[in-house]
Amino acid sequence: MDVLLTDEEKMVVASAREFLEGECSTTLVRQMEKDARGYPADLLKKAADMGWTGMCLPEAFGGQALPLIYLGLVMQEVGRALAPLPLHCTAVASMAIASAASNALKQQILPAVCGGDVVLTWAFSEKDPRLLPETVQLTAQQQGDHFVLNGSKMFVDFFVASDHCLVAARTSQPNSLSDGISLFLVDSKASGISHVALKTLAKDQQCEVIFKDVKVSQSQLVGELHQGWPVMAKTLDLATVLLCTQMLGATRMDAEMAIDHAKFREAFGQPIGAFQSIQHTCADMIISIDGGELLAYEALWKMDNGMPAAVEVSQAKAFCNEKCIAVVRNSQSILGGIGFMMEFDLHLWYRRVTAWAMRLGTSFEHRERIAHALLDLPGKVVLGQPVPVVVTT
Amino acid sequence: MDFGFSTEQQKLRQDLLAFIKDHVTEYVIAEMDAAEDEMESSGQSRALGHRGPLVSALYEKIAERGWFGYSYPKEYGGGGGDRVSQNIIEEELLRVGINIGLAGSGAPAIMAAGTEEQKHYYLPKLIKMEYYFALGFTEPHAGADLAALRCRAVRQGDHFIINGQKMYTTSAHYATHIYLMARTDPEASRHDGISIFIFPMDTPGLTVRPLWTIQNNPRAPRGTCYGDARSNEVFFEDVKIHESCLLGKENQGWRVGSMGLNLDRVGASRYLRSVRRDEDIVNWLKSNDFGGYSPGDNAAIRDKVAEMWIEAQVCRLMTLRSMSIVERGGQFSYEGSAEKVWSPEHGVRTTEAITQMLGPYASLLNGSPFAVEKGVFAHNTMGAFQSGINHGSVQIMRDQVAKRGLEMPSQRRAKKA
Repeated sequence: MDVLLTDEEKMVVASAREFLEGECSTTLVRQMEKDARGYPADLLKKAADMGWTGMCLPEAFGGQALPLIYLGLVMQEVGRALAPLPLHCTAVASMAIASAASNALKQQILPAVCGGDVVLTWAFSEKDPRLLPETVQLTAQQQGDHFVLNGSKMFVDFFVASDHCLVAARTSQPNSLSDGISLFLVDSKASGISHVALKTLAKDQQCEVIFKDVKVSQSQLVGELHQGWPVMAKTLDLATVLLCTQMLGATRMDAEMAIDHAKFREAFGQPIGAFQSIQHTCADMIISIDGGELLAYEALWKMDNGMPAAVEVSQAKAFCNEKCIAVVRNSQSILGGIGFMMEFDLHLWYRRVTAWAMRLGTSFEHRERIAHALLDLPGKVVLGQPVPVVVTT
Repeated sequence: MDFGFSTEQQKLRQDLLAFIKDHVTEYVIAEMDAAEDEMESSGQSRALGHRGPLVSALYEKIAERGWFGYSYPKEYGGGGGDRVSQNIIEEELLRVGINIGLAGSGAPAIMAAGTEEQKHYYLPKLIKMEYYFALGFTEPHAGADLAALRCRAVRQGDHFIINGQKMYTTSAHYATHIYLMARTDPEASRHDGISIFIFPMDTPGLTVRPLWTIQNNPRAPRGTCYGDARSNEVFFEDVKIHESCLLGKENQGWRVGSMGLNLDRVGASRYLRSVRRDEDIVNWLKSNDFGGYSPGDNAAIRDKVAEMWIEAQVCRLMTLRSMSIVERGGQFSYEGSAEKVWSPEHGVRTTEAITQMLGPYASLLNGSPFAVEKGVFAHNTMGAFQSGINHGSVQIMRDQVAKRGLEMPSQRRAKKA
């Protein structure tokens, strides 16, 4: 038991921060808001050289097989710098492939991911944006040795820049044996795929992706037919907790900018940071960020140790959604007009943190997952013990 | 980063649970309740005589297992073990109403500032709960601004003569000693003229007067957050004590006091006070209803329960963070103060939320017909907010987070007209 960062973990943070401070200015962040691909290709290559794209992938495919907590810390720094990189989507899709795809598919994709040569993304949400198996309506119909996909997906990250997209499709109606969902790794340029760019608060590159009679070979199936939901559920949990650390890194940077501002900005003859109303607000901001970090780190630690972590992931995301938004809103309040003028930088963080809080599960969805585990399942809950309760006979 | 307990620590928890099942019977708890009733109405000191035979036997068994003062050095009567294990022991025993924790006991300050003689004399008895200190800090004119204290100690050769008054001295009616902060140099700046003394409660010239709290009659059930029915005023009239009663050097009491407080504010006791109701309400909602209406099926209540559960996890994790810092041999920058903001305020939020889940049933006190869980939620409504007041208010704690943790500037005083 020692919940503080180890020396090795601190080194991961320090080297990521140093790298991004050198490579990722806010000028670049602004430039990429207007870029259709949304990231500079050479920066992804450099990130791959830092080992970030293959961090938790198996060594047999060129990865480093490190614990997820390291990736979480890197994503935290990526968030801090608002680095315009398709890292989150590539990491999430590649981890799903590493956990469930055929050896041939792994061999085809993973070494290229590690090298920073391909961008992956993933598509789950549809019209109903909740992260539940019943929201998947896009169909994949088996025809001989291939499948035909029809339907559309929403909020697909970095789709234009992506080479392959992991798609959750309905291959059967849910029954007692399965949720009827299968996962396919689809060539993003395959015939029959079109996209509509979305204009987002974060000014990032998300699309609606439309599949019309898209042919996918059986060899592109990730995991077993109809049995895709358990893989997808774990993938969504990983995506969610990594987004939490990314949000937390951005939120801490945002708070630090506000605290620094409060130390120098003078009003009524002294720095505004000398007033208790500002000091107590800043104290609450830091307490919130610390709390979010502890929740997210514990979720990652549980995943790394092969323990169930769904409740812990929901704890982290529900908390971060509300607390991170409150922190960046308070920073806006401390900076006054400067905070929302285009020429100053604070809004770059504000717009992303608030937008990320809307992705991958609202506070209400995550809290309902927790409430279900607490209230609808048997056993007496004890704080510090696993939830759902492990009932021993 | 490691959020897991070691195999030894997990086994320790299992041993404790088995021990509690075997030895902490309803008769033991009944005896403790009776002793507390007696102390409140008449007692002046927690001499061993106040401990009934069942409780004495239980404490002997706890001592045999080496669970008292688990992380304190063996030479001072401790177990020589790690801080996390001590927390496990304190937590499990506290869950059944037995507080052997050393937070708020004065032991951390003696470890930090005591002479060898004082350590050998006091620590073994504090650890085995044979001595118990009343913390004499607050005064009528010095609460949050503790350095404004006026209680005077005047040196006379190798003695001191003490005159003054202390307020809200919660344990004065059962303590064996007072741990007193008094002004020894009124000419020095506020923080530089203060000293700390430890001496017996039965020293001539010291009197205790009860202050009854809002938890008085009926008594709050065990496990209530701040369920004490009695606090006290303590008066000092020409109390003469030897200079060997000084803890730390004369006039350096402020520094000694804050060293002790740093570790006194966190740990199992405050953690559990803040989060017990979260467990209670979940377990109650799982299996209860009001005439067919199950609040646990209400979507808004489910959302609130989950929100509070998440906050409780943050209380737990902040406690683990403090333990980790102590275990690494470090000092808090702001983390202890942050925990002392978050946990008490969570305790209040969850208590207030529960009142709105249970409605009028939450107002029923201990012993009332239809009381839910012995009225613990009603009593918590009177107790939870106290956690944000004592041992450094949440406002003072936020000042510390801002000043120590974030290095924010001090406010300039307004110029006098």
